[in-house]
Amino acid sequence: MTQRISKRKRFWMQNPVWQFIKFIWLGLKVMLIVAGGHGSTRSKEYQKSY
Amino acid sequence: MAKILVLGAGISGHVAASHLRRKLSKDHQVVVVSPNSNYQWIPSNIWVGIGRMKSKEILFPLAPLYKRKGIDFIQAKATAFFPEGDATENSAYVLVEQVTENQKGTAEKVTYDYLINATGPKLNFEATEGLMPGKNKTHSVCTYTHAEPTWKALQNLIEEMKHGKKVKILIGTGHGKATCQGAAFEYILNVEQELRRHKVRNMAEITWISNEYQLGDFGMDGMLLSYGSNIMKSNQMVEMVFEDRGIKWILGAGVNKIEEGIAHYENLDGEHKSETFDFAMLIPAFSGHGFKAFDKNNNEITDKLFKGFMLVDADYTAKPYEEWTAQDWPETYQNPTYKNIFAPGIAFAPPHSISKPRKSKNGTEIFPSPPRTGMPSGITAKLVADNIIDSIKKGKESLGHKGSMANMGAACIASAGYGNFSGSGISITTFPIVPDYKKYPETQGRKLGKTFGEIGLAGHWLKLMLHYVFMYKAKMKPFWWLLPE
Repeated sequence: MTQRISKRKRFWMQNPVWQFIKFIWLGLKVMLIVAGGHGSTRSKEYQKSY
Repeated sequence: MAKILVLGAGISGHVAASHLRRKLSKDHQVVVVSPNSNYQWIPSNIWVGIGRMKSKEILFPLAPLYKRKGIDFIQAKATAFFPEGDATENSAYVLVEQVTENQKGTAEKVTYDYLINATGPKLNFEATEGLMPGKNKTHSVCTYTHAEPTWKALQNLIEEMKHGKKVKILIGTGHGKATCQGAAFEYILNVEQELRRHKVRNMAEITWISNEYQLGDFGMDGMLLSYGSNIMKSNQMVEMVFEDRGIKWILGAGVNKIEEGIAHYENLDGEHKSETFDFAMLIPAFSGHGFKAFDKNNNEITDKLFKGFMLVDADYTAKPYEEWTAQDWPETYQNPTYKNIFAPGIAFAPPHSISKPRKSKNGTEIFPSPPRTGMPSGITAKLVADNIIDSIKKGKESLGHKGSMANMGAACIASAGYGNFSGSGISITTFPIVPDYKKYPETQGRKLGKTFGEIGLAGHWLKLMLHYVFMYKAKMKPFWWLLPE
């Protein structure tokens, strides 16, 4: 076993208060990315974005 | 009046049926055919497999819900497709075989105006000799019926460890072309955490075995992602987690045979090796269901509908990896020959893999097949349902709703351990799912910022919240349709 995550980082990863803030932020971010739309890749509009 | 037949009641089939029923008047008929009597929220099976959830928490019976909502339900399995009908039946139909105890084996023709094939994958355990849940010390968490005995076996192993037995645990993929690495990844981290909780971690050697070329490939060719203020490759992130948890790994391994406590595999160098274990959870290869199709004159036309999985509006032209494009991926999931047949979710044949194809020196293909998880399954099912609804209402074909996996985001909230305050999750979002190397040439085909990773307790809470939200949605409780797929 090799420690790759520092004790300080691990503390924040498991800190309930900080993680609750992260939970709200993550929930919103995931919602925005996933519910933020999907569409064609063959449309002229999409091709213009290249 | 239109009759829409939905084959399958997993995430994709259930999403399609529920949206069709909500948006179409009762003049139109929605019929679901599934061999399963229960709906199951598959992403939570890993928690059943470590004993932290009961299977009753992740499933509910379909028949009462469908009866209440006005959806016809036939508990049967599809066996053959007749998209032109036959000599005695003018309408297109699917031949199904009843699976309930009192009607087992009874065949029935179920006609349709529109067909949604959401049959998902066949768990092809037979593709790997000796790989069968509950046999040769191998187990599965692919379904709740597999996950329950898997927990019992793990529980027994933990008891043996408490009595001083040192054990080897092997988790990963059980075939050179298997996919769904994400589920195995979640399971290995959950098992590791449970062993710590039971204070027997030091008694176990835990090994990840996978057909991936690099850690963190997940069948998606890996990803470059934002992690805090850093930009990191997914293989670096997974390596960090595995090393931190003391998990060893074997990559580029095509498992080809299982004997009692031994996994035989071939690696990309063409070497034949083996790994011993006391407990293994290996994901099998996925395959199509082997359906046959026939025209009106009973001539076989299977190749017009299937290439393993169902053919849709993808570009299936065989071409080198370097020439693959985002545009190859389907957008409407409509069969090109029979325009009233659609295949969302996992039922459609992907045009090619997402990960770079690799062969061993002996010519054995060892690379992950493309994954299609719950989120894209739900999104593609909804857009197929919306196109059918529009077509019915307008009285002509309407394909205004499009969703290519190369222009769609997905979230993978991977559990890394269960516990209200000791739990952890690795939250990864990716946009798009299929990389578009032309649009995002500098960032491995994906948009940074929308492709990010986070590790911590919040990820566990998020996965747990998604479990309850999607169970609520699947039960079609008030305002369920406001929740995104």
